Amino acid sequence: MNKLTFHGPLGPNAPLGEILLAETAIRIELPPSLHGLAVDRFEAVRNHVERTDSLLCDRVRIFYPQGSMAIRATIKSRRRSDGYDIDIVAELILPPDTRPAVVLDMLFEAINGPPGSKYHGMVERQTRCVTVYYADGMHLDITPTLLIDEHDPRRSVLFHAKPEEPHQAHRRLLMNSFAFCEWFNDRTPIDLAFVEAYRIKANALYEARADADVVPVPEHSTEVGGKSAAVVALQLLKRNRNIKYLSRKGLRLPPSVMMAKFSGDAAVPGSSISGALYAIIEVALGTLEAADREGCVADVRNPRCADDRFTDRWPENLRAQKIYIQDLNLFRDQLDALMSSGLTLSEKQDLLIAMFGESPARSVIHDYSASLGRAVESGQRTVAPSGRIIPAASLSAPAILKPASAQAKPHTFYGAAWRRR
Amino acid sequence: MRSIAEQVRAMKRRWPEFDVAHQTADRIIWFGPLVGIERPYQMMVEYGLPIVQDSTEICRRFPLVRVMSPRLELRFNAVEEAPLPHVYFDDKDLTFSPLCLFDPDQNEWTGDDLIAFTTVPWAADWLACYEGWLATGRWFGGGRHAKRDEKGAA
Repeated sequence: MNKLTFHGPLGPNAPLGEILLAETAIRIELPPSLHGLAVDRFEAVRNHVERTDSLLCDRVRIFYPQGSMAIRATIKSRRRSDGYDIDIVAELILPPDTRPAVVLDMLFEAINGPPGSKYHGMVERQTRCVTVYYADGMHLDITPTLLIDEHDPRRSVLFHAKPEEPHQAHRRLLMNSFAFCEWFNDRTPIDLAFVEAYRIKANALYEARADADVVPVPEHSTEVGGKSAAVVALQLLKRNRNIKYLSRKGLRLPPSVMMAKFSGDAAVPGSSISGALYAIIEVALGTLEAADREGCVADVRNPRCADDRFTDRWPENLRAQKIYIQDLNLFRDQLDALMSSGLTLSEKQDLLIAMFGESPARSVIHDYSASLGRAVESGQRTVAPSGRIIPAASLSAPAILKPASAQAKPHTFYGAAWRRR
Repeated sequence: MRSIAEQVRAMKRRWPEFDVAHQTADRIIWFGPLVGIERPYQMMVEYGLPIVQDSTEICRRFPLVRVMSPRLELRFNAVEEAPLPHVYFDDKDLTFSPLCLFDPDQNEWTGDDLIAFTTVPWAADWLACYEGWLATGRWFGGGRHAKRDEKGAA
C-alpha cells in the first residue's frame, strides 16, 4: 500500500462517515462478478431474440444497456433483497406505425419462445418492457424501442401499453437514454484518488466473500472502482429511496433516471461521497421544492432530448412529491449526524440502518469493528493525537501523526468475568 | 521507577489536553478527552507511587483509568463480555468501573513505564473496541480474564 491509501479519500484516516458510506455502497452495488454475469445474460437474451425461428429474427438493430447499468450505478433491487435490476434497450426494426401493444407482445413472444425453450415461463410482459427473471434474483428489463431518425442515433420511441387498457390508451414516448447516459458520464468525472481508494475497498470485500457459485469475469473486476463519488452517492440515494418506499404499498417510486439527472446536474469533481450526496440533495430539493411552492409537480427532462420527460409517471400528484421532499430532508439530517464526530459507532449503526437498511448496515459495522479489533489485538495500529485508533495495515508514512504517537507497547486486555452479585 | 514529575511531563507532551486535577509527590490524577473511534470521552487517570506500606489502593499498583462521561453503557444481553467488557467491576457503580488494560501476569506495565505511552493509548484501544462491542455485542480486541483465584491479584 502507498501513501495515497492512507491519506486518500477513503483511507483509515478519513472521516468515519465517509468510510461507512463507501462500505455501504460496496455492499449494495452490483459486484464485478455479477456484472459479468449480467453481461453474459444480456448477450444470451439478444442471441435468443435473434435466433432463426424468432419473431424478431433480423429485426434487432441494437441491444444496449440503459439506466443504472449504463452508468455503473446498479444496486440491489427493492423487490428482492438479493436481486439486481438490469435495464436494457432492444432497438427493433419494425414499421413505425406498429401498435405499442404489438411491439411489446412481439418482444415477449420472441423471448418467451415455445414451451421447453430456454426462457419459457421466465418472462413477463410489463407496461413498457419485458422482464426476464432468473432464479438468483437478477432480472433483465428489456425495453423495446424504434429509432426515429437514423441521422440522430438512439433518439427513439418506447411504448406504453397496459394489457388491460384499450389500445386507444396506449402511447408512444420519445426517449434517448443512450444520449442521457453519455451526458451523465461526461458530467461525473472520475477522481483518480477516489477511484483507487474505492477499488481497494471493494476488492477487499469481494476477495473476502468470494462466491464459488458466481462466474468470475476478471476483466470487469478492474472496472468496479472506476466510478466517481457522484455515482456512489447516487447508488446510496437510490438505496435510501428503495428502503423508504418498501412499506409504502401502492406508491410509485421517484424514478432513478430523475435522480441520475439531479446527480449529473450536481456533479462536481471531488472525492467526497458525503459532499456528492449533499450536492445531489441540494439540486433535488431545489427542483422539487420550487415546484411544490408553485403548487405543481416537477418536470424533469432528458437534457439531450427535451421531449423525453423523466417525470411522466412520478410524481403523480403534490402529495407524492411532498413525501419525497420529506424523505430528502430527513436524509440530509441523517447525513449530518453520520458525518458528525459526536456519535458512537452504535449510534451510527442505527443511522445506517434507518438510511440504507439493516443488512448492509450491520455488515458494515461488524466488519469495521472486527478490523479495528484485529488491529488493536495485534498491535498493528497507530494512535492519533486525539486517541483515534487507526489500523496500520495500510500505513507507510503517517506524516500527519506526531512521532510520539507511534506504536504503543503491546498489551492484553484483562479483568474479571462478570458474576451477578 | 518513574517519578510523578516524569509522568506529568510525558503526559503534557503527548496528551496536552489532559489536565492535572490533583498532584502530590506520590500521587496524581488527570482528567482529559480521549477518542477511540471518533466520539470523545472524558477520562480520569489516577496513579500513585507504591511507597505507602500495605496500601490497599489499586492505583498504587498500576494506573487506573475510568470513563467519566458519557457514562459507560451496560449491555446485559451482549453476546460476549456482558455487561461490560474488560473492566474491574465496581459494584457501587458499574459504569464507573476501572478499565482492565493489561495483563499483570505478563508484566505488560511496570513503574518504569510512562503512562502517556502505555496506559492512555491502551485506553484509546479499549474505547475503540468498546464502541464496536456496543454496536455488535462482540468484543474484537482480544484479551483474557482472571481466573477466580487471580481476581484479588488483578
